[in-house]
Amino acid sequence: MGTFDWKVIYDNFPFLMKGLLTTVELAIIGITGGLLLGIIVGMARLSSKKIIYYPATLFVNFFRSLPLLLVIFWFYFLVPLLAGRPMGDFFSASVAFIVFEASYFAEIIRAGIQSISKEQMQAAYSTGFTYGQAMRYIILPQALRNMVPSLLTQSVVVFQDTSLAYVIGVREFLRSASIVDAREMRSLELYAFIGVIYFVICYTMSKMSKRLEAKRGMAK
Amino acid sequence: MIEIKNVSKWFGDFRVLENVSETIEKGQVVVICGPSGAGKSMLCKCLNGLEPFQEGDIVVDGISLADPSTDLIKLRQKMGMVFQRFELYPHMKILENITIAPIKVKKMSQADAEKKAFELLERVGIPEQAKKYPGNLSGGQQQRVAIARALAMEPEIMLFDEPTSALDPEMIKEVLDVMINLAKSGMTMVVVTHEMGFAREVADEIIFMEKGSIVERGTDVSFFKNPKSERTKEFLDKILLV
Amino acid sequence: MLAYDFKWSILWADPYGSWMLEGIWVTIKLGVICWFIALFLGTLIGTLRVTPWKLSRLFATGYTELFRDIPLLVQLFFWYFAAPRILPHSWEMYLYRGIPNSEFWIVVVGLSLYTSSRIAEHIRAGMQSISDDQYNAALSTGFTQFQTYRYVIIPYAIRLVIPPLTTECLTVFKNTSLAMTVAVLETTFMSQQIEAYTFHGIEATTGACVVYMIITLTVVMIMGLVEKRLAVPGLITRR
Repeated sequence: MGTFDWKVIYDNFPFLMKGLLTTVELAIIGITGGLLLGIIVGMARLSSKKIIYYPATLFVNFFRSLPLLLVIFWFYFLVPLLAGRPMGDFFSASVAFIVFEASYFAEIIRAGIQSISKEQMQAAYSTGFTYGQAMRYIILPQALRNMVPSLLTQSVVVFQDTSLAYVIGVREFLRSASIVDAREMRSLELYAFIGVIYFVICYTMSKMSKRLEAKRGMAK
Repeated sequence: MIEIKNVSKWFGDFRVLENVSETIEKGQVVVICGPSGAGKSMLCKCLNGLEPFQEGDIVVDGISLADPSTDLIKLRQKMGMVFQRFELYPHMKILENITIAPIKVKKMSQADAEKKAFELLERVGIPEQAKKYPGNLSGGQQQRVAIARALAMEPEIMLFDEPTSALDPEMIKEVLDVMINLAKSGMTMVVVTHEMGFAREVADEIIFMEKGSIVERGTDVSFFKNPKSERTKEFLDKILLV
Repeated sequence: MLAYDFKWSILWADPYGSWMLEGIWVTIKLGVICWFIALFLGTLIGTLRVTPWKLSRLFATGYTELFRDIPLLVQLFFWYFAAPRILPHSWEMYLYRGIPNSEFWIVVVGLSLYTSSRIAEHIRAGMQSISDDQYNAALSTGFTQFQTYRYVIIPYAIRLVIPPLTTECLTVFKNTSLAMTVAVLETTFMSQQIEAYTFHGIEATTGACVVYMIITLTVVMIMGLVEKRLAVPGLITRR
């Protein structure tokens, strides 16, 4: 049984924190990009025009049936091909996260929009709004408010998902730990450490989402 | 002003509107009544282009709704609509509920829109509620705000889809009073309602609908004392008693 | 766009085709084993979360929070690289060298625990949506608390949570792909090995995608049958 030596964390702290920063960056890109694309796809899923509805539905069902790991590999091979030059693993991973998470955000958005009654849309139309204006001023602000807890929960998932960028060599938090581990042979301390950090961040975010949900429940 | 010509609408095999025709002149108040499922609300929504119809045409101010090139957005600005369940925007304050369409659609300045909104709130009798959210208002107050919201676009026609049927009895009068004043000011109105008191006081024409068609029409309530069909009589007896 | 020669035959050419088949078999084995362990553990933990005993609730809550709030990949690495270090050195060596296929079983542990915490949340939500009076009614007919859960609450809750469980079942199969990182030779691992040998990454990865899609469709079909089988008239389980 090996003895614990937490010095490895102390010695490599700046390196590990740089990894955590990359993780946070990837998460922010995945959440904002995924959410924006998700809003568009989610709205398209509600369109009555088949030419809009079917591609959006195909997009959502396609990515939701695949493991994220494969999607990351897929874009890792595909992005340089489409771009015509190497774009770096961080860029490929970002594209993969935006596209993959968009398919999950889209379903949250769709459900959120559907939770607003049809009459709200008609009321907006009756005062002369266009579809775009009605969505922007009336439906989406209400729907997004209803969706905040689900969106936060999904954001925690995205944050955890970024660890998979490990497989294409992105130096995020987990990869940083494994690099240090390869040199220092201190698996227990390193993986316990990053496990705790992940836990603290995700637990705090989940609690926030639960609290918001409870607050909304009371307001109703 | 509004001409409804042989309008029919159906969902699959189910006929919602059957060959409905009606002419409404400027300044007229038309009351539509009838049992639930008769197509009254649907007719009201068709008038505003909120629901499409398969046959016939509705012409408002010379503009045809059946014509696919018609700009429904423009057309709707001529008409205000009040819904059964108010449909105020719950995430906006009362003042914003009223000003948002004038600001975004008519590009009115915020100051002008707010000035107008306060005038309208004064008119419907609740200027002190401007800074509250819809959820803090009673049903009657909400419906009066909804009327103000529709009037803010300065419509030429007002459509009311059962405006009092979701209200507690003690709140119905406050809404009806606003509507009566509106009618007396010369507004063209189409009102789906069972409030015969209202009909008696201001209606120029009363229509009775059943199963998607207009089965009776008359210029005042007494006309209904001798309806053509037994079914109509039965229904009218019920609502006239109230 | 770079010039790229698509060569789809790498998916079935010898020996790559048989690699893929082996990989698919491991994926299915891993997914099925983890699913059943997780379903059992998850139902147990989910039930503990709604019992009246404070200690069991505390334990179950800690369990779900712990496994839900750490990324699965970090958990797998923990079980694979870190946890064996706690054991005496000889045991550690035995674990890595003595047990055949040890990495497979380590992933079974990690993935089952992770999935069970997610299933527990669905089960808890399902049980909490069952009214107190339903519970009281069962007790009033003379059931013990254990019997009430065993015969009334759990069977009812399972029907309520079939739709979210279907999603969870799909997630298990998708998550088995993470086993590649600790050298379990499953579908994703094989596809990337083919890539390493042929440099045809897009074809290999796309091939693996098709495999997962077929698995997804199969799971949806099976769960659809289960749902039909368990359907109770007047109780809407499907959205």
